[in-house]
Amino acid sequence: MKYQIIFTLNNEKVQHEVEANKTLLKMLREDFDLTGAKEGCGQGECGACTILVNGKPVNSCLMLAVEADGKEIVTIEGLSDGEKLDELQKTFITNGALQCGYCTPGMIMTAKGLLKENPTPTVDEVKVAMSGNLCRCTGYKRIIEAIMEVVENNKN
Amino acid sequence: MNKFNYFKPSTLTEASEILRKYGENAHILNGGTDLVVRIREDLLNPEAVVDIKGIEELHHINYNEKEGLTVGACVSLSDMAHNEAVVKHFPVIADSAEVVGSGQIRNLATMVGNNCNASPLADTATPLLALDANLLVYSPEGNKKISIHDFFVGVRKTSLKTGEIVIAIRVPSYTSMKGVFKKASRRKDVDLSTVCTTVVRINNDEIRIALGAVAPTPIRAKKAEGFAKGKDLTDEVVHQIAKLAVEDATPIDDVRGSKEYRLHMVEVLVRRSLEELRY
Repeated sequence: MKYQIIFTLNNEKVQHEVEANKTLLKMLREDFDLTGAKEGCGQGECGACTILVNGKPVNSCLMLAVEADGKEIVTIEGLSDGEKLDELQKTFITNGALQCGYCTPGMIMTAKGLLKENPTPTVDEVKVAMSGNLCRCTGYKRIIEAIMEVVENNKN
Repeated sequence: MNKFNYFKPSTLTEASEILRKYGENAHILNGGTDLVVRIREDLLNPEAVVDIKGIEELHHINYNEKEGLTVGACVSLSDMAHNEAVVKHFPVIADSAEVVGSGQIRNLATMVGNNCNASPLADTATPLLALDANLLVYSPEGNKKISIHDFFVGVRKTSLKTGEIVIAIRVPSYTSMKGVFKKASRRKDVDLSTVCTTVVRINNDEIRIALGAVAPTPIRAKKAEGFAKGKDLTDEVVHQIAKLAVEDATPIDDVRGSKEYRLHMVEVLVRRSLEELRY
């Protein structure tokens, strides 16, 4: 059986039919071709699938697609305004805060969620907020630096 | 993931009816951070999944001096941990909630769900045990209250009957209460507890100690509590209480730690907590 859901996806209202036994991550990737969010562990440990639901970062691999009904969902694809990148996307590039890039969309969405709630966190607060996102190649130093560059800009 | 029917009722009556209709083949979906993984890994194979987040009254969180703190079933761990009343009156509960999973998980997961899973290592269970919390439960025969002390029956087993739904957790208010939550885990963040403890001091003469991950359910260290009653927390007394706390623990060896390590950590965490509670 398929279930009708209506939700906002990257600022657009969408209507969709989905099976109950499909995760939100799978629906975004397969039905909407939004492949920024990735499946790493499938258990909420690695954060590669992080998206914003009602402004808050969550693991989209732990939500059923049907639970998206009525929600406002933003994925990494919804951050930029056409060719104009979000500040976090820019600082991740300028700081070289990625290598293979697999974890990057999740990293940026978690950081986005943090900065929405607290535009000027301390380094320690950033580290705590990012603790649910694993990177297996770059390490975390440049990722933290990229986020802190946006924080510094927010202070001015 | 196997197929199942998804229901999103808007009342407790309706939700309970579906749960009773499907019996053992139905499962409540709340935050989903545990359920979705268990379904995906084929540990659970429900025919019906009942999403209770459409029930408005389960989203409330309130505090007043008379009734204490009431945390609705669908209040996320992060909303609860940042709630003004929780931070002011029950920081020990906020501290335990802040170490469950990651920020992303805490935006979905709930304290009621954490406890309904009845995992022996549920971080938020220890402050609730130490503070004598109650669960407010919808039952087809009429709403009831279950003491947290009667709620955990075994590993992943609670005293809830088919069709019963936890509406909220209520923690009584205390005029003078200080509490410390501590957790030992393999890594600092995003990990399950190898051992977790909550030690509270009430009215400067009563010590309560709750231990997680050292028995089939979270437990209170009654022997140590009895010994501590009315005593000044001198170095000697603190050491003795911490040693006695180990006596109620019956841990097992597993991937997170050996039995011996767990017993040792009970003593260490309880001692450190008591040292913090002296001031």
